[in-house]
Amino acid sequence: MSLRRVGVLLGKELLQGPKNFIFIWAVVAPIVISLAVSLVFGNLFTDKPTLGVMDEGDSRLVTMAADLTSVVTKEYDTVAGLRDAVQRGAVDMGIVLPDGFDDSILQGEDVRISAYTWGESLAKERAILRATVLDLARQLSGREATVQIESTSLGDETSIPWDDRVLPLVVLMAVFLGGLFLPAISVINEKEKKTLEALVTTPTTIEEVFVAKGVVGFGLGLFTGIVILVLNQAFSAEPLLLVLVMALGTVMASEIGVVSGALIKDTTTLFAMWKFGGILLFAPAFVYLFPQIPEWVAKVFPTYYLIQPVVEISQQGGGWPEIATSVLVLIGLDLAMLGVAAAVVSRARAYGISS
Amino acid sequence: MSQDAIVVEDLTYRYGQLTAVDRISFKVAEGEILGFLGPNGAGKSTTVKVLTGQIRPQGGRALVLGLDIATDSKRVQSEIGVCFETTNLYEQMSAEENLRLFARLFGVKPFDSSALLQRVGLAGRESDRVERYSKGMKQRLMVARALVNRPRILFLDEPTDGLDPASAEVIRGVILEERARGATVFLTTHDMMEADKLSDRVAFINQGRIAALDTPHNLKQQYGKRALRAEVASPDGSLASREIPMDSPETARAIEDLFEHERVITVHSEEATLEDIFIRITGRGLV
Repeated sequence: MSLRRVGVLLGKELLQGPKNFIFIWAVVAPIVISLAVSLVFGNLFTDKPTLGVMDEGDSRLVTMAADLTSVVTKEYDTVAGLRDAVQRGAVDMGIVLPDGFDDSILQGEDVRISAYTWGESLAKERAILRATVLDLARQLSGREATVQIESTSLGDETSIPWDDRVLPLVVLMAVFLGGLFLPAISVINEKEKKTLEALVTTPTTIEEVFVAKGVVGFGLGLFTGIVILVLNQAFSAEPLLLVLVMALGTVMASEIGVVSGALIKDTTTLFAMWKFGGILLFAPAFVYLFPQIPEWVAKVFPTYYLIQPVVEISQQGGGWPEIATSVLVLIGLDLAMLGVAAAVVSRARAYGISS
Repeated sequence: MSQDAIVVEDLTYRYGQLTAVDRISFKVAEGEILGFLGPNGAGKSTTVKVLTGQIRPQGGRALVLGLDIATDSKRVQSEIGVCFETTNLYEQMSAEENLRLFARLFGVKPFDSSALLQRVGLAGRESDRVERYSKGMKQRLMVARALVNRPRILFLDEPTDGLDPASAEVIRGVILEERARGATVFLTTHDMMEADKLSDRVAFINQGRIAALDTPHNLKQQYGKRALRAEVASPDGSLASREIPMDSPETARAIEDLFEHERVITVHSEEATLEDIFIRITGRGLV
């Protein structure tokens, strides 16, 4: 394989790509859907976790919390008002500061704070608010404070916000429209217009053509996928792990795309297969969309092993231990698809690319 | 014409049950123009696909420039130029961009696209998108693309099919220039007149087999019928035609009789065309 020729073909793809409607659609569609979902359901413009405070005394912690830029603080006059706000989801967590709170922690006494958490709030937001309250108490006492936060969950814990439910679907769309659909349609277009025959009767090999198309799909799918995560504030936790997972998933998408392009005869058939195959690709996202469906159903589908780590990191605050298995499966799937791609190339060499 | 540029031995290719190319054998010398003639579905394009390394032979072998096409296709492809039957240019790119892309893939440096475009009569239109070109212009660009690497063998599949006379003439001129440069030309066509004009030798392919292979002159000698055709006026004033075979011992006497006993209006010599010979050999026409 000649990297020089792959580079030449890559240049051609990039020159031709922006003139192609599908190329633009692959970038724009997921972003537009993501923005629409965020605007309708979500937290696009209110990304900070919200802390509700009901102060039974006159604690300085309230003022200190209000000065913070990383969280939004709202004050309530009564415990009932605070509980109501939590129940409605107006705040992610509400705390009740007992009378004499400041004196107690200054004297090093054990202090208990009642906290109410909204059942639908994200785990990472609860974790941020919990850490913030403990940090403020430490600043107030000037040393490590012995504050116990006793949480009570209000609202439906199984209920997940819609924008979070939709996120896996939009991420998969981004990865597979760019990563899979674009290389597939690009190969098929070249077959239909017979330009692929012209390319492979030069010293250029079929592998070089496929690699160039796969790289363009990979780059576009990864870029759009990361943009979607950034737009949904899902990119802050463990960015390197997220990039790794997204990259492995997009490699799989590009491999499937190139193989599909080589095997499918024309654009009409591709669109027909996309309708059917799309269900298989996006099935795991429907399990996240409707949490009533048992998770084992999603595990049957290869794309689960892309979306599970993304959700685990971005929504559950998970790290490497929680995603290791999925990442290993994803690497296995990438290698398996590489084998399939090699078999397709070998067939094309023997019987022609249009066979 | 010294070495063989192409050597084909018992070449076979099947599409499922259909044998498209059936144990054909032939040689093409360096610097020769071989006209490869046959009707649609005769096996012409399949043979070209094998010889240009697009598909692997399923039987026999083909040596192109001394290399086995089944195992050395990429080395062969760096030395050949292919002009396809169907237009397969990047239509959203300009003519210049199309040529530069292929020159880069061949690793041709330096590359002068303007000279090549001028040669095929496309100077001044190099920056236009190919989608705005006429069929003749596209075909001329296809020929130019086949020349970017100064190929040692030029495969041309129906290069003038359906073209206006001016474009066809430009392409025929390029073919003769390439032969003069020393390139071998493998010309696939079903235009017998064109093959007759351009080819050093012609091969007739029919139902996957080579039915005849020789120079046009020899084929005409071997299979053709030379005759004199005369138009004569009958006593009632109507016209009738008379044919006198030219290769008979009685020819001189027949001509004498004709002028002595008939009122001759016109006389033409008649020579068999390649198409006549093809029909005679294969029992079918070229369509």
